[in-house]
Amino acid sequence: MLVGAVFLWLLVNGAFYYMSRVRPGAFDQRYARHILIGGGIVLPVVVLTVLLVWGLSMLPDPRRPGDGLVVRVTGEQWWWRVEYWPEGADAPVLTANEIRLPVGQRTEIHLTSDKVIHSFWIPALGGKMDMFPGRETMISLLPERPGTYRGQCAEFCGASHAWMAFAAVAMEPADFDRWLASEAADAVPPSTDAAARGARLFRSEGCGACHAVRGTENVGQVGPDLTHVGSRQTLGAGRLKVTIDDLSIWISHTDVLKPEVKMPTYDLEPDQLSDLAAYLEGLK
Amino acid sequence: MTDEHQPRRDEDQKEFAEEHASLFKITLGPLIWAAHFVACYGLVAVTCAKGWDIDAVRSGLLVASGAALVGIGWVGWVAWRQWNVAQTGDFVNRCGRAEDRHHFLGHAAFLLSIISAIGVVFVSLPLVLIGGCQ
Repeated sequence: MLVGAVFLWLLVNGAFYYMSRVRPGAFDQRYARHILIGGGIVLPVVVLTVLLVWGLSMLPDPRRPGDGLVVRVTGEQWWWRVEYWPEGADAPVLTANEIRLPVGQRTEIHLTSDKVIHSFWIPALGGKMDMFPGRETMISLLPERPGTYRGQCAEFCGASHAWMAFAAVAMEPADFDRWLASEAADAVPPSTDAAARGARLFRSEGCGACHAVRGTENVGQVGPDLTHVGSRQTLGAGRLKVTIDDLSIWISHTDVLKPEVKMPTYDLEPDQLSDLAAYLEGLK
Repeated sequence: MTDEHQPRRDEDQKEFAEEHASLFKITLGPLIWAAHFVACYGLVAVTCAKGWDIDAVRSGLLVASGAALVGIGWVGWVAWRQWNVAQTGDFVNRCGRAEDRHHFLGHAAFLLSIISAIGVVFVSLPLVLIGGCQ
């Protein structure tokens, strides 16, 4: 794109320089006509035709069937509920706010929404697809290079629409399979005293009424599944990083960070907050 | 109104009648383009929504595209002859005589038929390149 922009800049300025400095007089009518017809009609028609054919050849790609894996994403206010359905699976692997895809395989992403219309968009991997309550839409994506890309809700969906993002991680297929196997497993038990205190706090503060941590008694489905929240790239659907500091800030300032979010702000003592954050950060 | 103006008015009327027909002619190319556009977009949208046989519709629309191009080609040919630039060598028809207006309208209709033909080809490309309801 940069090369194209530089080329066009040189072309336009070169033509301007030529006409104003090198040859400022009136043009021969025949010559001028050739420039007008060639540059004004023939060139745009050829360029537009080539671009149109190229664009149309890519248009069916996002509707092509996938190679087996299906990821089902539900747009919530303002986060993403994500289910992985490997080929032949009876039950999904549940996670949230992060999409991981194997490189070199086309993955079908089935989209729906909870209450309002959202739009699923990973600009680096493909176009947008709207998500409607009570309806399922589909986009299939074929990542070609491993990497972490940003995804974003592209349809205004309420006060925190701008903070409804996610990380899209394209991985080598073997790495993806390993990741999915670990994601399917139950949560690891707390490994430090602080984390153990945090786990008790998680229960006593009622976090489990909304959040599930598989392998524990916390089975809430209102908010994001936190079984492996510590291994995610972002917290609060792209709002913060998953560090102990950011987790503490999030729990104590949800409404500031994400206006009108359902999760209430928790007014805990600093050491309680850091214990709870240590527990969540340890959920790898 | 004197008698000597009478023949002049007839002449004017004839001239306006000619221009009236030519004005109609310059809209023909874009009209065919517009009809083709509406037929393609409307029919494909309804076909895909209702689950009708897209292959049959696609073939029919490709035939319609060919017919539209033939129609526009005919309009263009008639306009080219009306413009008559090959004989007059006059590209701009700057003088305000009836003949100049006549040639100019041919010129305009010719250019509009070119853009209409390009429009029909562009609108038909998805029929060729995409084919289904993906």
